[in-house]
Amino acid sequence: MSPRQWLRAVFSALEALCSRAFTPAWNPLLQLGAIGWFFYWIVAVSGVYLYVFFDTGITRAYDTVEALTHAQPWAGGIMRSLHRYASDGLVLVALTHLLREFALDQMRGKQWFSWITGLPVLMLIYLSGITGYWLVWDVMAQHIAVTSAELLDALPLFGEPISRNFVSESSLSGRFFTLMSFIHIAAPLLLLLFMWIHINRLTAARIQPARGLSLLVLASLLGLSIVLPALSQARANLDTVPATIGLDWFYLNIYPLVQQWGGVTVWKLLGGTLLLLGLLPWLPRKSIPPVAKVSLLNCNGCGRCVTDCPYGALSLEPRSDWQSYESEAVVNADRCLSCGLCVGACPTATPFRSASVFSAGIELPQLPLVELREQLRKSCASLAGEDRLVVFACEHAGNLGTELRRNSAVAEMPCIGMLPPSFIDFVFARRLADGVVIAGCTANSCYHRFGQRWTEERIAGQRDPWLRARVPRERMALSWAADLGAFRRGLASLPPLRLSKSDAGKPGPLPSGRLWPVPVRVAGMALLLGLFAGVTAVFATQPSWRQLAPDEAVVRLAIRHATATKIECKPLTPQQMNDLKPNMRRPVDCPRERWPVYVELERDGKLLYQGTHRPSGLWDDGAATVFRTFRIPAGRQAIVVRMRDSGRESGFDRVRSGTIDIAPGQNFVIEFHSGEGFTWH
Amino acid sequence: MSLIVWREDFTIGLPDVDLEHRELIKMINTLHGSLKPDADAARIVEALGEIHARIAAHFALEEREMRRLNYASTAEHKDDHERLLDDILDIMDTVESPADYDAEALGRRLSNWFSEHFRTFDARLHRWLVNRH
Repeated sequence: MSPRQWLRAVFSALEALCSRAFTPAWNPLLQLGAIGWFFYWIVAVSGVYLYVFFDTGITRAYDTVEALTHAQPWAGGIMRSLHRYASDGLVLVALTHLLREFALDQMRGKQWFSWITGLPVLMLIYLSGITGYWLVWDVMAQHIAVTSAELLDALPLFGEPISRNFVSESSLSGRFFTLMSFIHIAAPLLLLLFMWIHINRLTAARIQPARGLSLLVLASLLGLSIVLPALSQARANLDTVPATIGLDWFYLNIYPLVQQWGGVTVWKLLGGTLLLLGLLPWLPRKSIPPVAKVSLLNCNGCGRCVTDCPYGALSLEPRSDWQSYESEAVVNADRCLSCGLCVGACPTATPFRSASVFSAGIELPQLPLVELREQLRKSCASLAGEDRLVVFACEHAGNLGTELRRNSAVAEMPCIGMLPPSFIDFVFARRLADGVVIAGCTANSCYHRFGQRWTEERIAGQRDPWLRARVPRERMALSWAADLGAFRRGLASLPPLRLSKSDAGKPGPLPSGRLWPVPVRVAGMALLLGLFAGVTAVFATQPSWRQLAPDEAVVRLAIRHATATKIECKPLTPQQMNDLKPNMRRPVDCPRERWPVYVELERDGKLLYQGTHRPSGLWDDGAATVFRTFRIPAGRQAIVVRMRDSGRESGFDRVRSGTIDIAPGQNFVIEFHSGEGFTWH
Repeated sequence: MSLIVWREDFTIGLPDVDLEHRELIKMINTLHGSLKPDADAARIVEALGEIHARIAAHFALEEREMRRLNYASTAEHKDDHERLLDDILDIMDTVESPADYDAEALGRRLSNWFSEHFRTFDARLHRWLVNRH
């Protein structure tokens, strides 16, 4: 079994379980996308509330968040908790959604669009979440700031390291912070745009979960917010490096990796993952069956197929043939996935038509209805007894089991929604079998989105075309809802089949699936929501990340130094000036290239670092920067830092040494200023 | 003689729907013309099958128009459509068992249901469409 099939089986089992427990309408696994949208709105509304009280300046940010949390716990505190937990829920739901679509193989071939547009959605969720945590400016935010800077500095994008912004409390500037509050508003707006694009190719995309389910999810988030309100950690202080911090593992899962493996490796990992996800729809290429075909002679433009297409692949367009109808159905081959739901919707798709040849208004070339009918007739001819069965099965239904294979004719189609209800009527009218079983793919979750739902609604007379009321519902069963053994045994004891000639009334639904008793279902729902809340609560702060041993400290070498130019300026003689082109003439010749910087750092006589750093700029005419971080044991130790910046072969131009007490968790910064030389604190 | 004769007051005012009404009347008249006591039952079933499909499609189109225009009596009108479609299937069952086969009765039934539906439901739709403006 491939990983995809394995995953599919897991999802199928879980979905079947949840459908039985909560009814398909409330099955959270079948509306992950919709729940994601719901979380988005919770985050947006609570975010607007928080923004009212939040001061976007770095000096006041922490205090305003604290005031919000503790001065108005029943409003701001709850809002803040909802903001955090719904954001975590959004990640949880989005990743599960991604896994499920992968398992269902709903992203290859023509479905690439939703998959590919989902990737920016995911990235924007992360960008929004990470910048949001930044704004709290507690030790986790500090960790985010320092590590993000390290990550960004690994890219050859920035002239000088961003990390210099977060070297020490004294050099801290609000510049970056303001940028973060801007991104934290811009990214979610962009996210909304991409979420909208993401669902653009789906008809009737579900963006609202069932109301009851929404309320329960909201209630569980509220409960979580009251029991475990979201709190800030200690105030950020760049002069220290907190040894242990709580991390939100939903959003910050790569941050420990940056510290462990370095920025470059993490970028490779991220880029590789993204590339792989981006290529998945074409790995390997999906074989593409021929698309649905409209037969204009049988199409009067009634539009039922357009309404029922799950992929927006059909539209009504002005008539193109000689018939004087207003419109006709047109297939968009790029979007059609050959599911056949349109065939099931077509009013002319009826097996009662002339004996030899007929065509519905829209047909799948690989499975014409004439062929389906002839196969059905042929395979029914060999059935005998009183429990003869016709099974209309979805080709994704998997193993039908022995009960459905015995004394039965199985008609397979790409999706159960392709079945025109009149075929069921036909089976009974022609006495082809004693019972009919509808076998969709997995319980309540249709490979082609609406196949099962449309079928059940057509049988129940809630969607066109209706299954005639005269068809005996007691001789029909849904494979996922019925006890098939009992159903078959029951067929023999039913009164003889007689299709009523009188007014049969309105069509009725099939008996719904067996549900568990109410207390069990309530307990199940509570368990599921509790599990969701529990997972969210735990991974929002736990396990905490130890970035430093308790007896360790950090030394940062942060040097930005414009050295002397390699060649001194010298005045030009009139003759030399004359030899230059007129626009290049100048009285003094000043080559701009500067000397590189060579630095050594020594601790207790052992070399911690040595390196040569080129000046920045295209002509090596800018300042050279050195930014390095080292973990060292705390305690009293001899530190020596030396620099050569004049082009000499050996020896040093600047040296500073001393014996220093470094406290555990201290952020010991060594800087260099041209006027005063090395400074440390 | 034709079973149903198209009359101007059958017009309901939706061009597509009116066009199909005429087509259907033509089909039913052709079928009626071939209803002789010695007619081939298979051919009649075949013709009825086509009529059934045509009428189903026609009703689908008419229902779409009614829904599009927010016609108040859409549900009742549709129920009558469904009843008529049931009827045709029942008629087809009759034709298939030669014992029950009675050309005269079949002709009467076809004519009745068509004229009746025209007289009541379609006329009401027509009045509604006219008064709407």
